[in-house]
Amino acid sequence: MTSTLLDDRRDACRALKALSKKYRLEVGAYGMDAIRTVLAGDRPDSEIVGYALDTLANICSPQVFTEEERPELGHECLLHVGEQFTEIFLKQSDGVSLVLSFLEEYDFKVRWPALKLLSALATNRLRDIQEIILVSPMGVSKLMDLLGDSREVVRNDTLLLLIQLTKGNANIQKIVAFENAFDRLFDIITEEGYSDGGIIVEDCLLLMLNLLRNNTSNQNFFKEGSYIQKLGPMFDLPQESNEDALWSPQKVSNIHCVLQVVRALVSPGSPGQVTLTCQYLLMAAGIVQALCRILMASGVPVDVLTEAICTVGESIRGNSANQEFFSTVLAPFTPPKEAIVVLLMSMVNEKQPFVLRCAVVYCFQCYLFKNETIQAQLVQTLLPSTTEVSNVTCGQLLCSGLFSHDSVSNWFSSVCLSHALIENPVQKEQLLRVLLAATAGNPPVSLLHQASLLLQQCGKVQSKVGLLMLLSTWLSHCPMAVKQFLSIPTAIPYLTTQAGSNERDENEELVQGLCAFLMGICVLFNNDSVASYTKENLRHLIGNRVGRENFVSKLSEVSRHEQYSKAAKQPQPRAANSEELLLDHEFCKLFKALEGMIIKAVTSSDGGPGGGGSGVVARYKDLIRDQDRRLAETQATVLRLQQEGAALESRLEEAAAHVARLTDENMLLRAQVGSCFNVYLFTIDKT
Amino acid sequence: MSYAYLFKYIIIGDTGVGKSCLLLQFTDKRFQPVHDLTIGVEFGARMITIDNKLIKLQIWDTAGQEAFRSITRSYYRGAAGALLVYDITRRETFNHLTTWLEDARQHSNSNMVIMLIGNKSDLESRREVKKEEGDAFAREHGLIFMETSARTAANVEEAFINTAKEIYEKIQEGVFDINNEANGIKIGPQHSPSNASLPPGSQSSSPSSGCC
Repeated sequence: MTSTLLDDRRDACRALKALSKKYRLEVGAYGMDAIRTVLAGDRPDSEIVGYALDTLANICSPQVFTEEERPELGHECLLHVGEQFTEIFLKQSDGVSLVLSFLEEYDFKVRWPALKLLSALATNRLRDIQEIILVSPMGVSKLMDLLGDSREVVRNDTLLLLIQLTKGNANIQKIVAFENAFDRLFDIITEEGYSDGGIIVEDCLLLMLNLLRNNTSNQNFFKEGSYIQKLGPMFDLPQESNEDALWSPQKVSNIHCVLQVVRALVSPGSPGQVTLTCQYLLMAAGIVQALCRILMASGVPVDVLTEAICTVGESIRGNSANQEFFSTVLAPFTPPKEAIVVLLMSMVNEKQPFVLRCAVVYCFQCYLFKNETIQAQLVQTLLPSTTEVSNVTCGQLLCSGLFSHDSVSNWFSSVCLSHALIENPVQKEQLLRVLLAATAGNPPVSLLHQASLLLQQCGKVQSKVGLLMLLSTWLSHCPMAVKQFLSIPTAIPYLTTQAGSNERDENEELVQGLCAFLMGICVLFNNDSVASYTKENLRHLIGNRVGRENFVSKLSEVSRHEQYSKAAKQPQPRAANSEELLLDHEFCKLFKALEGMIIKAVTSSDGGPGGGGSGVVARYKDLIRDQDRRLAETQATVLRLQQEGAALESRLEEAAAHVARLTDENMLLRAQVGSCFNVYLFTIDKT
Repeated sequence: MSYAYLFKYIIIGDTGVGKSCLLLQFTDKRFQPVHDLTIGVEFGARMITIDNKLIKLQIWDTAGQEAFRSITRSYYRGAAGALLVYDITRRETFNHLTTWLEDARQHSNSNMVIMLIGNKSDLESRREVKKEEGDAFAREHGLIFMETSARTAANVEEAFINTAKEIYEKIQEGVFDINNEANGIKIGPQHSPSNASLPPGSQSSSPSSGCC
């Protein structure tokens, strides 16, 4: 290797390469420095550089070669060999930039092994390689140029390397986007036949996903560059002639990936403005419509369907125009049914896959999110109407789910109904009007009454949690609902018993905590119209029967529950199995907002009106009134001062004019006096 | 809306000279007195008209802090225009211009149009750099020069548009190789023969670009 003759060195390198798999340890330990010298010094000879790079790629490879397995060496100790050599290679600072520079060589013998070596290094030490590439001039540019390489293997390996390098590094993501990555990727996707293309399409989409996820700058660039429209053809599904051919495993993966790309653009975690514009553009490009067609098509594999439902959800979430559109989508049945009704039918159907049912709940939540009209429409389907409706409605499906024997359906339906009430005081009162036909001969019962009876009778934690969340959402900020609830004779005794119970089981404690929370809401939003359960009475009841400290600790059981932090993180319910489905995202928000107020209302020692919830409200009202008064006063003062200012100014002007006039007069007089004096002198002179 | 040309810009200069505010004033027509430090780079875009042709500007606003310098260098090569900004109320930001210019010249393509901008012209009472000095520096280094105020929007439009005009003229003169995207210039979809396969109407307008 140290021979002065190039030919000899080249032969040595060829030999090293041949040995570098079987005797990787030895080649790495004794050869690393020599190889590095070759890389630095023998640049013009592509053959020797190729051998050197290949050898390095082998010794740094994260995989264990079959050739190197030896009985005396355990598989374990071979596992980290590549990683250790990577570390050694990275110790000398210029190593990686040297390898990067070989990417510029067009010769396949050099370019390809350089690429492989970089990929091995990145697998072993991603953070280090990312940092080095960021600071090496044109590092990313050189890689991007390789995406246009006509040799497919180079192009594909570059793609894989870029997927690695863009992982979790926003700066690299932005540079890659700046270097026209989206154009390159769409070129490849188009060339390969969109979603019918091979794994290369999937790789392109994975890179796209890396560039867009949680990267607002790139999302902006993507929408401004009209790339959303370019996603359109990905969703073109051929006519369903042969379903097996239609949904090959590769096609499933491709569609799955492109759905995630869409979701990255409209993720609820992104800044609202970006999401809204992207939602608008997805609609304008016909992509929301195409997604709805996938939802209603037959033979779509469950995982594609599930992801498509979530994607539709996020493409309409909080965007009234898109939500409006979704409410008009019809499923191809005879007679046609609303798509949303069909989806809800699957949700309350035990036989459907759990993941699919979860996706429907999420989509339904998105459909209701911040849209009072849609919320009202849903509640409307439950109210007694004069016209007889022959079709099944959303409201009916949710009620049937609420009273079903399947606890998952109970939970889903409770949560869906609660989402029709979020931040909507009108619908909270409207829903109070809903009556359910009871058994023959008995008078109809209100939905609220029925829900609280169900809570008391039902034995399953999941159903109870669902109902408690529904009731809490319903009663919060709605004294009229609290009043109706308190009028149910068994309601408060039940809650008191639960909140005061000391049964120890993780999920029982959650139920007890939620019962305490609901009681707290009854205190907080109580307008003292039910004589036996006035705010004051309830406070005493909690003090005597539950104990104030115990009440507070029961409340904290809710936020301490492991599902609470999971649910609080993101709107989409993400439960691995049906037992994990307990707390809802929006409910967690409500809980967080009210917990402190409830503790204050229940535990404050003074019994006066100031201690209760309405006391707090009254205090704030007073405060606001006071501030209003002061604001009005200040405005009056400002106005007065302005007027005074204007008056003073005009007087100042007058005075200035006066002074000017006086000055003029003065000058005139002086001039007259002067001329008089002159005349006088003249006269004297003459005389 | 489809454009005739797309130009890529970068905005560079010391930290706190108002680069992000200039971009915000240009794209959103608003001023944000308290602005977070830019981390790495941020993207903004707007459509303008020159010579009756729609031109899309894609602008990368870079972080001025030294720590990000090596990252922001990656953006020089692919840009057609650069706004080099200093703060007229802080002399040191003017003194650093030479370093910025060397950096830009070294890493960019030689045809990149550079516009020198003295920002914060509304703060006349705190001025430390005379307009004549900016003028002289620009003349010496062959740059276009303007004083702007991101707060009052004075000259902000002009700064971005004049840079685009200069690039446009260079294209007309044939200085730029417009088929090489590495120059930071792209020909619009319906103007370029290579994109003829694109179905008509697939370029539906976006609300944010349509308004401009």
